[in-house]
Order: sequence, then structure tokens, then C-alpha cells
Amino acid sequence: MSIRALIVDDSSVMRKIVERCLRQAGMDLGQVLEASNGAEALALVTENTIDLILSDINMPVMDGLEFVKHLKEMESAKNIPIVMITTEGGEKSVLEALSFGAKGYIRKPFTPDQVKDHVIPVLGGQS
Amino acid sequence: MSAPTQSATGQSAPLESWRPILLYSVQEVFTIMVGAEVRVPDKTDPPLVTEVTGMVGLAGNICGVLSVRCGKSCATEIASRMLGVPVAEAVSNLSDAVGEICNMVAGNFKAKIDSLQDKCMLSVPTIIIGEDYQLYSLAAGDRIDLPFLFEGKSMWIGLEVRS
Repeated sequence: MSIRALIVDDSSVMRKIVERCLRQAGMDLGQVLEASNGAEALALVTENTIDLILSDINMPVMDGLEFVKHLKEMESAKNIPIVMITTEGGEKSVLEALSFGAKGYIRKPFTPDQVKDHVIPVLGGQS
Repeated sequence: MSAPTQSATGQSAPLESWRPILLYSVQEVFTIMVGAEVRVPDKTDPPLVTEVTGMVGLAGNICGVLSVRCGKSCATEIASRMLGVPVAEAVSNLSDAVGEICNMVAGNFKAKIDSLQDKCMLSVPTIIIGEDYQLYSLAAGDRIDLPFLFEGKSMWIGLEVRS
């Protein structure tokens, strides 16, 4: 079954790169939705069925931490696995995101293999 | 080649000691995310072209600005490589690409310095398109500037800090 993914990043270039990495990693991607901040992402989550979210942390309007926090409070969306993609690897904001319920994080710069290694486990091996 | 890093010393490091770390951070970001290498000029520094300027602010243990300055053709080439599309299709993404490069270089750089890792925050990137501007800092600081060649085109990465 193909995976419906939501990619959240204020950089459209980065959203395209993340999507390309998922495809290069051999993931069977179906619909890919994009949002440029957490607020846009929350709106998409309420209107669509999503299997996986990859989100930046440092974004305008609503950052990735606020987004994870709100997402985990939504009964219909709290079980969607979310992986943070950030320049803030191993730092306070990442630990905060994990404590809010993010399943993992990938630090920029990243290779397609690193994306695969972090994403497949949170999907329970499904790719 | 192992990545240069710096351990925490409890003291502010002289900016010059960060030069090889910044250099490596830039090369790593380009190799992994752009899929192309940046070259350090052998002898003469390339001209400083400032048609596109990307800036990311740093605030915390150090305050400062990391900047990427290059020409539009260089920025478009970077966007083209990052997206894997022809140059003509990448023009509309040049500012976004330079902003993201700036963000990743700043993040990669601070991740290699123990005293900055979780004690220095990054702003979202700001992009200036156009050469006719002057930038004034609020306080005098130190800076390092690194010249690069990307596909034969000039690109400068700068780090200005004040403690």
C-alpha cells in the first residue's frame, strides 16, 4: 500500500528534496502533501488521511514544536508518526519535539539513506 | 578526512580557529545536499558578487550573522542542482535555495562546536536580491570570509560575530 506523506518546511526547495529522498530510498509514495508551516500542516491533517509526517522545526508562523504539540492533542491525528528534519540535531529543541511525541529526527544535511533509516522504523518496516 | 570539531572550553574561541570548521561545514553541505563540490580558489580570491545574499542570525553564546553571497547565475545553478531540474526551471527557486544553504551551513557549523550546539539559536533565513545595499551591524565584531568557486562561479561565505 502506498504511503501518504505530509512534508512541512518553509523552504519549497527542501520540501522537494525530502520528497525526492523518500522516492530514492525506494519508498512507495502515494499522495504527497506540502505545508510551509505548522498552521498550514494542521489544516491539511484535519482534511486528509496521512500516514507519515516529516517536519522542519525552525519555521515562521507556527514552528515544528508547536505543530507536534497540537498534533498530539488531536484525537484523529495523534497516532500519525512524525519525524523532525532539522538543522538543530541533538539539541534542546529536538529533545523537546521527541518529548511531545515525535518518533525521531534527521539532521540536515542528510542523504537518502539516512532518510530511509529513520523513516522505515517509524512506519513499522512498511515501505 | 575527519571533520574538524571543537570541544567546549568554557571560553570563547578565537574566531580564526573556527575557519577550518566553517570551511568543512560548507563543503559537507554542498557535497551532500547540492550533489556538487565547492572549490577553494588556489591563488587569487574570486570577485565578491552580491546579487543574492542569504543571511541567518545566530543568538546565544555568540551573536552574529552567517551570510552567503553570490551572483544570480551561481544561485540558480545551486537551486538547479538541489532540485535536480534544468537551470531554466530553477530560476524561481534561487532565493529559497540560497536561504536553505545558509540555514544548513549555519546549523552544520554550530553542531560541530560543543559550546554552540544547544546554546545558540538560528533565525529563519533572510534573502536580499540586488547589489545596491549596505549592511550595518549594531556593534563592531570580528568576521571571517571564505571564498569559494561553485561550477567556476564566485561564492563567499561569511561569519560575523560579536560576543
